[in-house]
Amino acid sequence: MSAETAHTTRPDMIVCENVDKWFGDFQALKGVTATIAEQEVVVVLGPSGSGKSTWIRCINRLEAHEKGTIVVDGVELTNDLRNIEKIRSEVGMVFQQFNLFPHITVLDNVTLAPKWVRKMPKAEAENKAKELLEMVGIPEQASKYPGQLSGGQQQRVAIARALAMEPRIMLFDEPTSALDPEMIKEVLDVMRDLALGGMTMMVVTHEMGFAREVADRIFFLESGEIVEEGTPEHFFTNPTEDRTKLFLSQIL
Amino acid sequence: MNEPATIKVESRPKEPSRTPREWIRKNLFSNTPNTILTFIFGAISIYAIRELLGFILSGERRWGAVATNMRLLMAQGYPANQFVRVWFTLGCLMALSGLSLATWRASGRLSLGKISTWTMNLGGGLALFAILAPISWASRLGWIIAAALFLLVGLSMWFGLRDSEKRFSGSVPTVWFTYGFLGVLVLSLWTVPYGHYAFVDGELIAETGRTVAMSTKLPFTVMWLILVGSYLIGTQVRQWIPIGRTKAVLIGLWFLSPFVLNWIVLRDPDFDYAHIASTDIPLALMFAIGGGLVLYLLSKPDLGEIGRIVAIIFLIFAIFNWVAAFFGWYPMLQKVRISFVLLALAALVAPNFAADKKTRLRFVASWIGLIAVSHWLITAINSPSTLKLQGPTYLGGFSLTLFVAVLTLLLSFPLGVLLALGRTSTMPIARVLSTAYIESIRGVPLITILFFFSNILPLFLPEGMEIAELAAIVTGYTLFSAAYLAENVRGGLQSVMRGQYEAADAIGLTTSQRTGFIVIPQALRVSIPPLVGQAIGVFKETSLVAIVGAFDLLRIAAYVVPSQTEFLGVKREGLLLISVIYFIVAFSMSKYSQKLEERVGLGER
Repeated sequence: MSAETAHTTRPDMIVCENVDKWFGDFQALKGVTATIAEQEVVVVLGPSGSGKSTWIRCINRLEAHEKGTIVVDGVELTNDLRNIEKIRSEVGMVFQQFNLFPHITVLDNVTLAPKWVRKMPKAEAENKAKELLEMVGIPEQASKYPGQLSGGQQQRVAIARALAMEPRIMLFDEPTSALDPEMIKEVLDVMRDLALGGMTMMVVTHEMGFAREVADRIFFLESGEIVEEGTPEHFFTNPTEDRTKLFLSQIL
Repeated sequence: MNEPATIKVESRPKEPSRTPREWIRKNLFSNTPNTILTFIFGAISIYAIRELLGFILSGERRWGAVATNMRLLMAQGYPANQFVRVWFTLGCLMALSGLSLATWRASGRLSLGKISTWTMNLGGGLALFAILAPISWASRLGWIIAAALFLLVGLSMWFGLRDSEKRFSGSVPTVWFTYGFLGVLVLSLWTVPYGHYAFVDGELIAETGRTVAMSTKLPFTVMWLILVGSYLIGTQVRQWIPIGRTKAVLIGLWFLSPFVLNWIVLRDPDFDYAHIASTDIPLALMFAIGGGLVLYLLSKPDLGEIGRIVAIIFLIFAIFNWVAAFFGWYPMLQKVRISFVLLALAALVAPNFAADKKTRLRFVASWIGLIAVSHWLITAINSPSTLKLQGPTYLGGFSLTLFVAVLTLLLSFPLGVLLALGRTSTMPIARVLSTAYIESIRGVPLITILFFFSNILPLFLPEGMEIAELAAIVTGYTLFSAAYLAENVRGGLQSVMRGQYEAADAIGLTTSQRTGFIVIPQALRVSIPPLVGQAIGVFKETSLVAIVGAFDLLRIAAYVVPSQTEFLGVKREGLLLISVIYFIVAFSMSKYSQKLEERVGLGER
C-alpha cells in the first residue's frame, strides 16, 4: 500500500497542523504538519533531540502543544479533559522504558484499564488479556510480576497492555532502544504482526530494517521540523534533502 | 518467541562446614585488635549481665508489687465483673488472627536444625544464668541441671536428625511451632502460681490460691483454643469460599475491629427498643431502599452529566443540613444528616460503577450494608451506657496505651496520605493548605498539642457540646502523627517514577484511579521502613498522655504503684517490667516490618 493510495481511500486518523512546542525557551517542535490515514504505518526518524518523541507524546497529550492543532480520530486535542480522556482511551502507547506497573502481576497490568476505564467485567477482561498475552507470545507469564521478566518480555506485555483497550491507533516511542540486542527481534515481530493486522501505527525508532520493511511512510525530523517525508523506497534510496543524506550516511 | 527450556542448574557447592573452634578463631580472635575487642566486650557483657541478675534477684526487690498490680497495669480501674468484655475482645482478635493466618497461608517452616540450635542456645543461656546469678548453691545446681537437660536435648536433635549429608531435611510449620510455644505458656498458668495477691476493684485480695495466674488461666486457655480452632476452620474455609472474597472480608473486619471492639470495651448501650421500632428501623429502611434506588439509577451507563449534577445537588443539600443545624434553623436527627452526606458521597462515586447490572446491584448492596452498619453504630453510640466506669479516665494501663496507639495509627494513616497527596498536588490551594498544616503541626511539641486538646479545646466548643477526654487525646495525637506520616509518605510519592504516571495516563486512567491503583501502592511500599519507625514511635510516645492526666502504663508503674501503702516507694520493679512490655511490642513491630518488606519486595527488581 503506498502512501498516496492510503491518503485517497482511507479516512484521516491523525491530523497535525503547524504544531509548535516549547520547553522553556527551547523550541522542540516547529510547525509540524502531517496527516496520517487509517491503517497506515508511519515511522519517525531523526537524530537524538530532534523532537520525534515530543511529537508522538503530543498526540496523546502526554505533552501539551502550544500552537497549532492536533485532531485525533475526529476529536481535537484541547485542554478539555473529556476530549483528552476520549483520545487516550483510543490511542495505545508503548514506551522506551516499558513503564509496566511493578507492583501488580502481568495479568493485572493488562486488565487494569479495561476493567476500570471500559468497565469490562473481570472474567471478560481476563479472557481478553490471556488472548493478548498469547498473541504476543508469553501466555505462561501471566501470574508473574514484571520484575521477573526479561526486557523483551516486559515490552511485549506493555504492547498487550496497550492493546487491551482496543485502541484504534498505537504509538511506539523507541520501543526497542532499551533492549538487549537479542531481544529486539521478538518485539519487532509483534509490531510487524500488528501492522499486518491493519493497526494505525506511529513508530519512533532507530531500527532501519523495520522502517524499510514495515513502514508505509517515513518522516525525517531534525531540530523540530519535518525535513523530509516519503515512502521507505524513496527515503532510503533517493533522499532529496542534504540533511537526510547526512543522517543516512552516519547511521547506515 | 518460545521460552528456552528449563536449564538444569547445578547446585552451588556447599561451603565446607567449620568446627566451632575454627569459627571462634576466624571471627573472634583473627588478629590482635579483634582479640582485644573480644576480651573487652566479653568482660563488659559478663559484668552487665551479672549486675542485672543481681538487681532482679536481690532480696530487696519486691516483685510482688508488680505481680499483685498486674490487673492495674493491664486495665487500671476496669470493673472486674465486666472483664468478660475484655476477654471477648481478645477472643475476637484471636479468631481474626487464626483465620487470617490460614487465609494468607502462613506457609513458613522452621527447619529442625534451627529448632535444635535454639534449644542449645536456651541451654547455654540457662548455664550462663546459673553461673552468673547470685543465688544459693542448691538452686544453682538446679539451674545447671536444667541447662544440661536443654543442651542434651538440643545436641541429640542436632546429631540425631541430620541425614547422611549432614543436612536437616525435616521441618516444622512455623505456625504450629508458635501454637505449641503459646500452648506451653498457657499450660504453665495451670501449674505455676504467678503472683500471690491481686488488687480487685481497689481491694487487696490475699486469699490463698487466688493468684493472677489462677484468675486468668481459664480465659487464656480459651483464647488459645480459639486461636488454634479458627486456624483450623480457616484452612477448611479455603476449600469452600473463593480465597479473594475471604481476604476482602477479613481485611474489612480488621479495619472495623478497633472501632467496634473499643466500643464493646467502653460501652454497653441501653437500647430504647420502642424508639428503635418506631423511628430507627423505618429510617434505616427508608435510606437503604430509597437511597439504593437512587444509586441504582445514578449508576446507569451513559447517564453523562446528569449524574454528576444530581450528585452535586445532593452534596450541597447535605452540607446545607449541617449549616442549618449550626444555626438551629430546622430540627433534624443527626442520623439523617449523616445519612444524607453518605448518600451524596455515594452518588459522586456512582459513575465508577456504571457497568452491567451485576456491578450496579453490587454497588447498591454495598450501600445497604453501609447504611445498616452506620445506623446501628449511631444508635448504639447515642444510647446511654449501662457500664459504670470509675474515674475521669476509666481506661488505663496497657489497655489505654494500646487504645491510643492503635486508634491514632489507624486514623492518622488516611489523613497523612491525603496530606501527602495534597502537598505534592498540582492544585495550589491543596498544596498551600497541606504544607501550612504539616509545617505548623511539626513546629509544635506533642505535649503542647495534647494540652491544647485536653484543656483548651473544650473551652472553645459551643454550649452543650462535650468532648470526652480520651477522644480529645486521640484527636490531638492523630493530628500530630498525621503530619509526620504525611512527610514519610511524601518521600515515597517522590520515588514513583514519572513513567508510571505517563503509563497510567496513556491507558486512560483518571487521576483518582491513577493515584489509587498506581501511585499510592508503590509509594507506600517504599515508605514501609519509615512508616514502621513512626508507628513504633507513636506506640512508645503514648506514655506522654500521662502528662494530661491519663493513667497509662508508665504513670501506673512510676506513680500509682509506689503510692500504695503496701508497696510504698517500690518503683524500679514496675519500670523494668514496663520496659520489657514496651520492648516486646516495639520489637515485634520491627520484626513484622522486615517480613513485610521481604514480601512486597517480590515484584521488584
